[in-house]
Amino acid sequence: MSRASRPQSQAANEGLRSLFNLAGRVAVITGGAGLLGMKHAEVIAAAGGTSVLVDLPQACPEDRAVELSKKCHCDSFGIAANIANPGEVDAVSDAILRKYSRIDILINNAANNPKMEASSDGEWSRLENFSLEVWDADLRVGLTGAFLCSRTFGLEMAKRGKGVILNIASDLAVIAPDQRLYRKDGLPESEQPVKPITYSVVKSGILGLTRYLATYWANAGVRVNAISPGGVYNGQPQTFVTRLQQLIPMGRMANVDEYQGAILFLCSDASSYMTGANLIIDGGRTCW
Amino acid sequence: MTLSAGSLFDVKKKTVVLTGASGYLGKTFAETFLENGARVIVLGRSEKLDSHLAQWKLTFGPDLVDGYRFDMGDAETLTNTMDQIVAKENRIDVLVNNAHELGPLTGFNTQSGSLENCTIEQWTRNIAGGVLWPFITTQKLGPVMKRQNSGSIINISTMYAVVAPSPDLYEGTEFGNPAGYSASKAAMLSFTRYVASYWGKYGVRANAILPGPFSNIDYSTTNSVSKDSPFLSRLRSRTCLKRLGSPHELAGALLFLASEASSYVTGQALIVDGGWTTT
Repeated sequence: MSRASRPQSQAANEGLRSLFNLAGRVAVITGGAGLLGMKHAEVIAAAGGTSVLVDLPQACPEDRAVELSKKCHCDSFGIAANIANPGEVDAVSDAILRKYSRIDILINNAANNPKMEASSDGEWSRLENFSLEVWDADLRVGLTGAFLCSRTFGLEMAKRGKGVILNIASDLAVIAPDQRLYRKDGLPESEQPVKPITYSVVKSGILGLTRYLATYWANAGVRVNAISPGGVYNGQPQTFVTRLQQLIPMGRMANVDEYQGAILFLCSDASSYMTGANLIIDGGRTCW
Repeated sequence: MTLSAGSLFDVKKKTVVLTGASGYLGKTFAETFLENGARVIVLGRSEKLDSHLAQWKLTFGPDLVDGYRFDMGDAETLTNTMDQIVAKENRIDVLVNNAHELGPLTGFNTQSGSLENCTIEQWTRNIAGGVLWPFITTQKLGPVMKRQNSGSIINISTMYAVVAPSPDLYEGTEFGNPAGYSASKAAMLSFTRYVASYWGKYGVRANAILPGPFSNIDYSTTNSVSKDSPFLSRLRSRTCLKRLGSPHELAGALLFLASEASSYVTGQALIVDGGWTTT
């Protein structure tokens, strides 16, 4: 080690902290009480920001916010709301502005994502059986919800002349699902589960939303980007995991904390010259 | 994994090999790594490298920076230098392929570089920067990363790998962007995906950064632009953000790809272009 190594490494940490610093910034995370929503919130907190977890009442976002505050020794806030309802989105906005007087970051993370890989009842998911009710419900959360939140929170950012929207798309926004992954031995073809069509449609739509908003609010100082993550290990059946791993150059699914770097990069000033971009984080699945 | 913003993007004690370190972006790349505590081996051709190197050794300590000054166009010297680096270093964590000849020899900013006029020599020099040099460095340093079961290769491409330069931007100016540049930097993306796929299971990641307009307005070189040039206002107005990028705005992308923050990112093209390619 060089003589200068100690002061140098302290300076190094300072440099990184300021580039990726979110101190004083308020981030709204939809689907915030879910597995990945909580992970997004953790990294926002680690960078000094405040997370507002928005989720449906049954997901208990208030309780999750209390847990997060304890775990990260940070301030966080949970609000139960249905983001597909404009009135409820406005109420969330009012509550946040009353409490913090600012909104700096929106992470559009909420979407329906039924676990077809663990399902033995997949008949409903097949294209020929797919109901209009499920189609409408999935689009309402994934697209209408993202549109309403972007409009309300993004407008607030545009008014202040600075802000970031980060949309969570998926590797399935850029490639089709490989339905062989979801097959169950012994089931007839007509009952084999598939990844629902709405998942591809919603996630691809998210990329269109990203580009539209990026150009629309570019002059207002609001940057809008997307990430397209692959699947994370979350107790899926081994056969599914084995099959999926073979589709990925890195030979593995993601760990649940491996999207935090991208979240912080794109939510902070470290990405100040990026807007309208889609960052694919898939272990290489779409590169071969 | 720790959640501290500092540690997530940490490159402290990583060994980085950076080509084109004396250039407009390369200098900032070197300083980004050095300021964050990495050990950086800088490669460059210009005499500026010597003075930068002396300054960096003074600022960051002689152990943290090493340099080799030579012309990458000499493939034999490049190959030998890579062998020397492999023999000397305990590990190689990050390779940044940044060098490219940006001047009349590759057909930049000269009528002799236009599609009608450009020579095979100019074309070939572009291809060398885009894929030959990265191929040589990757072939030599990649196996070290493979043995370590970790490593990050970062190829500096351009947005012109995915969209074409518009002739209108250059009309009536002394500037010009040669076809060989677009072709070689697009080939660089294919090479990036090949490497990502080939060594993916060994923990070696390969990604590209695609900068948008980061015109060199600070230095007087074969590719610098004066601050009041009307060419710059054309570039600015073509972006969504209505401004040029400044080199430090690539630091975040560089640290993201070099560090564990991007541990599941490979085979990708990260576009940092102020929204140029969004519309």
